[in-house]
Amino acid sequence: MPPARSLAQELAAKQREISVAEFFERNRQILGFDNPLRALLTTVKEAVDNALDACEEAGVLPDIRIEIVKEAGDRIHVAVDDNGPGILRREIPNVFGRLLYGSRFHANRQSRGQQGIGISAAVLYAGLTTARPARVTSKVEEEEAAHVLDLLIDTQKNLPKVVREELALWDRPHGTKVELFLKAKYQRGRQSPFDYLKGTAIVNPHARLTLVEPDGTRVTYERVSTEVPPLPKETPPHPYGLELGELGYRLKSSNRPTLAECLTRDFAGVSPRACREVLDQAGLKGKEKPADLHGDALEKLLAALHQVPLVPPSAESLSPIGPMLIKRGLRNVLGEVRPDFYAPPVSRPPKVRGGAPFAVEVGLVYGGGLPADQPIQLLRFANRVPLLFQQGACAITTAVQNLDWRRYGLDHKGGTGLPTGPCLVLVHVASTKVPFTSEAKEAIAEDPEIDKELTLALQAAARHLKTHLSRRSRREFAEEKFAIIQKILPKLAAKTSAIVHKPIPDLTPVITKIMDIVNVETTVSPDSGRVAVRTEVTNYTPRARVLEVFLEMPREQFASGSFSPTPDGTDAELGRAWWTLEKLVPSARTTVTVTFPKGTEVETSDLSWYIAGIDEGHVLGAEPQPGDWDVRLPRAVIEAAEAGLEPDPTTEEQEVDYDAAEGSAKVEDDE
Amino acid sequence: MPPKGARKSKTTSEERDGAIRVDALKPTIDLASEIWSQLDRGEIPRMRLPLRTKQNIQFQMREGVWRLGRALGTRSARKLDGALMLLRTFYLIDFINEMARDGKTSTLRELYYISEGWEESKFHSEDESNLLIEDLEVMCERLREDFRLHPEENGASIIGDLTLRETNRKGMVKKFNCRDDVGDGGYSLPFNVEKEKIEFVSTGAKFIIAIECGGMVDRLAENGFDEQNDALLLHLKGQPARSTRRFLKRLNEELKLPVVVFTDGDPWSFRIFASVAFGAIKTAHISQYLATPAAEFLGVTASDIENYKLPSDQLTEQDIRALQAELTDPRFKTTEWRSEIELMLKNGKKAEQQSLAKYGLNYVTETYLPEKLTEMGVL
Repeated sequence: MPPARSLAQELAAKQREISVAEFFERNRQILGFDNPLRALLTTVKEAVDNALDACEEAGVLPDIRIEIVKEAGDRIHVAVDDNGPGILRREIPNVFGRLLYGSRFHANRQSRGQQGIGISAAVLYAGLTTARPARVTSKVEEEEAAHVLDLLIDTQKNLPKVVREELALWDRPHGTKVELFLKAKYQRGRQSPFDYLKGTAIVNPHARLTLVEPDGTRVTYERVSTEVPPLPKETPPHPYGLELGELGYRLKSSNRPTLAECLTRDFAGVSPRACREVLDQAGLKGKEKPADLHGDALEKLLAALHQVPLVPPSAESLSPIGPMLIKRGLRNVLGEVRPDFYAPPVSRPPKVRGGAPFAVEVGLVYGGGLPADQPIQLLRFANRVPLLFQQGACAITTAVQNLDWRRYGLDHKGGTGLPTGPCLVLVHVASTKVPFTSEAKEAIAEDPEIDKELTLALQAAARHLKTHLSRRSRREFAEEKFAIIQKILPKLAAKTSAIVHKPIPDLTPVITKIMDIVNVETTVSPDSGRVAVRTEVTNYTPRARVLEVFLEMPREQFASGSFSPTPDGTDAELGRAWWTLEKLVPSARTTVTVTFPKGTEVETSDLSWYIAGIDEGHVLGAEPQPGDWDVRLPRAVIEAAEAGLEPDPTTEEQEVDYDAAEGSAKVEDDE
Repeated sequence: MPPKGARKSKTTSEERDGAIRVDALKPTIDLASEIWSQLDRGEIPRMRLPLRTKQNIQFQMREGVWRLGRALGTRSARKLDGALMLLRTFYLIDFINEMARDGKTSTLRELYYISEGWEESKFHSEDESNLLIEDLEVMCERLREDFRLHPEENGASIIGDLTLRETNRKGMVKKFNCRDDVGDGGYSLPFNVEKEKIEFVSTGAKFIIAIECGGMVDRLAENGFDEQNDALLLHLKGQPARSTRRFLKRLNEELKLPVVVFTDGDPWSFRIFASVAFGAIKTAHISQYLATPAAEFLGVTASDIENYKLPSDQLTEQDIRALQAELTDPRFKTTEWRSEIELMLKNGKKAEQQSLAKYGLNYVTETYLPEKLTEMGVL
């Protein structure tokens, strides 16, 4: 139908006339350039995200420097340079000077940048606001000199225009530097480049990041990990979550000779057996040419692919940060506020939604210099990129708010909004396809699968917090008692003895009555080049005790440890050892030592102590032995050892505490 | 500790002055002895003492004073606060005994600073130290003056025909008359007004008039009211200090002199009278030494404001709240007081003593007081 075709062409021609400049103007907000403050942040963010991605793809530990200089008027000069692999001369104009150009859009793996809008949008914004070209310096290892290109974007054609070019010597062996002049404004604070960099440093502990602020202040986050995160494997798409159009496109562009081969090779999770089942259900033979499938057949194929159980998508295309690095990253950046507690970070196993694997990770930090009277700080990340805007519209925020934090020891007024307390929560969602609420990639969209994982991860982290808080309050309780027996009681005895001219009595019985606990305390100290973890068990109860203690620790550490005294039993597979301690009379103490080879990274929290033979209310520093452990010594052994022990003293009758009595000694003075 | 203070009932001044004062500090040594024995027996040290909570302070209708009830609290070394208070108690007792050996006394404020050397048991405010001293008063059934602790002098004074003997700080005994041997300021009361310090020799007075403001004391003295009417003029100086109340009680009990209280006509002055006559909540544990239940209120009453057409001010909101609180105060439960308070609330007016000057400088001594005192049967 020639006329219709020409009309379509006419329309197409008209459509092309919408220049990228207009497109940009209409979409400033979603692109992140709607005001001078945000324009700067977006520019820095896009450049740094690209630099990090480039370094990781090349297996290089990133060393990225951002310099922001204030120029005349409201102009700012931004320079971001990295030690990545560099960009080939012929690719430079396309990477920086063309919207929607990128290598990662079709790659089915987790990466920071996805759509290929970012950095070229910044170049476009810079050109539109200052008419100055962007300068890109890039050097690849094989070449002697760096290419320096000044380029603008031709807003009519969406094509890069190189306005000046030269070769220059550069001190980096390889890397890329982009410099932009743009209308922008710099200030510290929320949603600033500073905040963004801080967040980036936490989740990229392998990167060294330097920011030079307009006033000359230099902030450097040194790397605390020397491992480049393993590059996520690029995997073929998984049929779950696939839509008809994309299935058709994949089949059409396949060069496999048969449909069966195409299904098993070009898609993830389709085993030959599953393939057979799918074909049977769809009424296909499998010998068809992939490109020949249309219409009804295509739809039947898709339905079958969604029905037949397939191997779930592999998580190899993900690069979660991992518990250890989350902790290191948080320590690195939060070191100065000296938090009391870093909860063991939670890394949930990857799950799948809509054919894309995703994984949720949560880190939680409590106490120290974090403000106690304000809402908790929530740091959101998607694929290792900090999310600084749209907090209220983000699925992460919703999940945090929906958890009843009161159950875990935080103030949470009415159980709505963010809880209050000296607490910081980090949430990272990694996925090959993060469902953002908009192109601006500022918030994650609500999704039942993701929400479920977020909730589970947050609950796990919150449980750690609760344990910490309850341990802390028990520790404070014990500290109070230690203060009484160590500082006050000896003085009280000395004072009264002096007043009545009598000798100071033996305080042991009083001390054990006041404390009435068995204290288990672990300290780590170097021991002639090795690392010794000493655990002291002290019987501060008024009766003799026969106790069993159980140690549990990570298997690798357990294997390298040596124990003194020799345990009564061990289970290397589970990392457990146990002892029946010698009989401890009141105030007596015994020590169990675990020694590790020099340089072993071990913290007191790596060792979990459990105890049996005493009511848990009378123990500090150890938990009761879990019921499912099958190592309990014969009851008869304990009973024989305990034979003849005096019974527990009866507790005193309930009395009014004079100094805590309501209104005591506080009566209104009407004199 | 046997629960003392609470159970002890009527100790009159005479009893105090006899046996108990022989060794004022013995009870403090007994406290130390008790705690030492507890430690020696392996018990957690503790003391039991009457609670000074509002619920445990009751107005004894029969005796007409505030007294502590029977509820006891425990101060135990099982808890940090309790342990700290026990330790402080013995630092305090040690200090008191040291002062006794050295023949020194200390102001309450000085004691607070002395505690700087007590390490973790030092006081964090003077309120804290004052409260512990009160605890010790309760436990030992002694007054803080017995412990050689006293507030700064507050300058309350007396004028009139009263001859007394005072043992001064150098141990010399001086005898003088509070009208003939003193200046215009009268005899200034020391903080310790106990018998070993002040002995009453003789008096020509027939009654005591306790007065709130210095200006009115001066007016009465200048007009020669004390001589013409055989009165002792005691300056209360606002809310009277413990020593002033104790002194008044001794005059009342030992010299059998009736006491009338002459204050402004407002709710706060009613409370001055109440603390003189019935004791105060804060000193409920020593009401038997401080309260003078025989004291009578002279004025200015609400009816005086009307009857004498005195210049007056409007009651403020605070005044009204204070009056309403007094309606529920057991000390004001008598019919007379209720009608006075209700009348003041109804009229909404208060007046100062010195507003009587409306009718000239002699009006108070020539008309108002003679009329009121006759009405009360004192003159």
